[in-house]
Amino acid sequence: MQLKRPRSPLHLGLMAASCALLSDSARAQAAPDDAAEKPLQIDTDLLYYKENAGRVQTIEPVVSLKKDFGDQRLLDGTLTLDTLSGATPNGAIPSRKPQTFASPSSTSLTPKPGYKTTLYTIGPGDLPQDPHFKERRVAGDLDWSQPIGLDNTVSYGGHASTEHDFDSVAVHVGLSHDFNEKNTTLSAGIDEEYDRIHAHGGNPVAGSDYALYEKEPSQTKNLAGGLIGVTQVMRRNWLTELNYTFDHSQGYLTDPYRIISVLDDTGAVTGYRYENRPDTRTRQSLYWVNKVALGPTVLDLSYRRGKDSWGIGSDTVDAKLRIDLGSGMYLEPHARWYHQSTADFYNLYLSETGPAPTYMSADPRLAAFAATTFGLKFGIATSRNGELSLRLEQYQQRPSDQASSLAELHGLDLNPNLKATIVQLSWHLEY
Amino acid sequence: MRIQSIARLAILLGLILGACGCTSLGVKPWQREILARPEMALNAAPIDAAIDDHIYFSKEAASGGRSFAGGGCGCN
Amino acid sequence: MPYGTRNSGMQSLRRIGALTLWLLASASPWARAANADDLLDLAQFRGRVVYVDFWASWCAPCRQSFPWMNRLQGELGRDGLVVIAVNVDRERADADRFLHEHPAQFRIVYDPDGRLPEKFGVRGMPTSFLIDRSGHVQARHEGFLVRDRDALTQQVRALVLAH
Repeated sequence: MQLKRPRSPLHLGLMAASCALLSDSARAQAAPDDAAEKPLQIDTDLLYYKENAGRVQTIEPVVSLKKDFGDQRLLDGTLTLDTLSGATPNGAIPSRKPQTFASPSSTSLTPKPGYKTTLYTIGPGDLPQDPHFKERRVAGDLDWSQPIGLDNTVSYGGHASTEHDFDSVAVHVGLSHDFNEKNTTLSAGIDEEYDRIHAHGGNPVAGSDYALYEKEPSQTKNLAGGLIGVTQVMRRNWLTELNYTFDHSQGYLTDPYRIISVLDDTGAVTGYRYENRPDTRTRQSLYWVNKVALGPTVLDLSYRRGKDSWGIGSDTVDAKLRIDLGSGMYLEPHARWYHQSTADFYNLYLSETGPAPTYMSADPRLAAFAATTFGLKFGIATSRNGELSLRLEQYQQRPSDQASSLAELHGLDLNPNLKATIVQLSWHLEY
Repeated sequence: MRIQSIARLAILLGLILGACGCTSLGVKPWQREILARPEMALNAAPIDAAIDDHIYFSKEAASGGRSFAGGGCGCN
Repeated sequence: MPYGTRNSGMQSLRRIGALTLWLLASASPWARAANADDLLDLAQFRGRVVYVDFWASWCAPCRQSFPWMNRLQGELGRDGLVVIAVNVDRERADADRFLHEHPAQFRIVYDPDGRLPEKFGVRGMPTSFLIDRSGHVQARHEGFLVRDRDALTQQVRALVLAH
């Protein structure tokens, strides 16, 4: 299963000139009477993510080290481990009759000598999902940022990840310029990513008949992206940022594990096809974020509008309110609303009558849906500048298209709601 | 695909914000006590953000958009 | 009209005009800033070298600058160096907390309204000004970078020890 790594955020991230983050200026030539500063930050996090109905579950430890070499020269390294298990939908829709599929690692659909066949059967009315899904991923990030003169910062870094069926490397470079007495900051960045997809059991021939079980050797894809942004201090207590990002991917963009059901006029299953997506995709987004301090409380409010060449448009509104409880404790409720429209080539299923489309996918991630997240984070300061925090969130996806009027599909939920629980424990230390 | 519509919106908003920067918006360099607070940084919780980005990237079609330069205490 | 009378009439007019302008000017914010002498009157330090540093509790590089200014004041005080650190925190309690963690062996001036940084034309935090014995600003230093520290120390020493 391709654990899609998020495209490396063009994080000129370390350039956030928050004083407290930079509070740990190095004691490079520290005389004994220099106040003890803390140039090293260590963050340890543990994420637990679990979906409903026996679906994906992941445990993800993250360790991050950030070292300040003095004068805002920062090195940031992060290591992420990801273990996934649970059932994952294969793209076919429920049917009145039982359905049998082969786990992707199988080399044949039907038992044959010399071939490996792992089959799973789905009961009537159930969502077809592969229960044998198991994956382990290791990812590393390394970033460097430093000032150039008094008003500019440059940053660059790389990322690499590997899992059984997917490898990725990426690099990024960013530049920012402050002016207007540092009230305005312009930033720009570019990134490049190169991925290799080698699915369990081989990459299927896109759009081919599932029964033929034709596989191909590994494929690649790459992505090139850019970002320009402006950050503006609006008031003493209000900071705003507007970013425009653009990226273009090309290569093997299809999900090698997903199939799409082929139905007759009554809605009975006559077969399946492997999905086939275009080999290019262009995306853009406009992201606007605000930080407003209302006394000791801080509001983080953002809106993002996205559009891509597959026809998917999206809107995201995200709000967080950090409430200071005193004694180094805080509570932060969080709410997020997301909506996306459907991809041009998305369909719940295909009809066997009529011409087969060039591109097709039944991946729910390309369908129209609305999603909400509600969460709460509690944090408590430990020793000087340390912090322990717990974040609990509930995510829910509600697809627009869940039923069909076809006789055989009457009463079946073809694209059920997704519910997921997110628990994250974080520990921050400074030395 | 209408690349033009988002790009136009971006340019317009960017120009407005940029133009505002040249006039009365902003604070004096010695008035950044609130902006210097760690919770006022645009990337105040970078690992939370990275984890969220990863989750939403895996479950949704849209992704990314962030960068975090600017704000803060403005110290050198 | 006798020539002399006209001249004295013009002179009075000029004096009244100047007084009016002066009254108007002192009422303006610019004048208010220019008259921050109640906070810091450099005239009293004529004959000595003055190092004026603008700092705040929220300014991270200031944590490095304080021990350095302590050393500087200790080393060159008897040669005529006066270090004056102007605090621009809005809340006095924040400044006090900083001073508790980073004790100062030099003068502190409190300017919560920011009149002195306005007058001096401070463009970033921290900023320091090196003023010679005649009261002229010889150097202005923005930021406090570790790599600039030695050069800055040399600059101050040179000005203080030169005769």
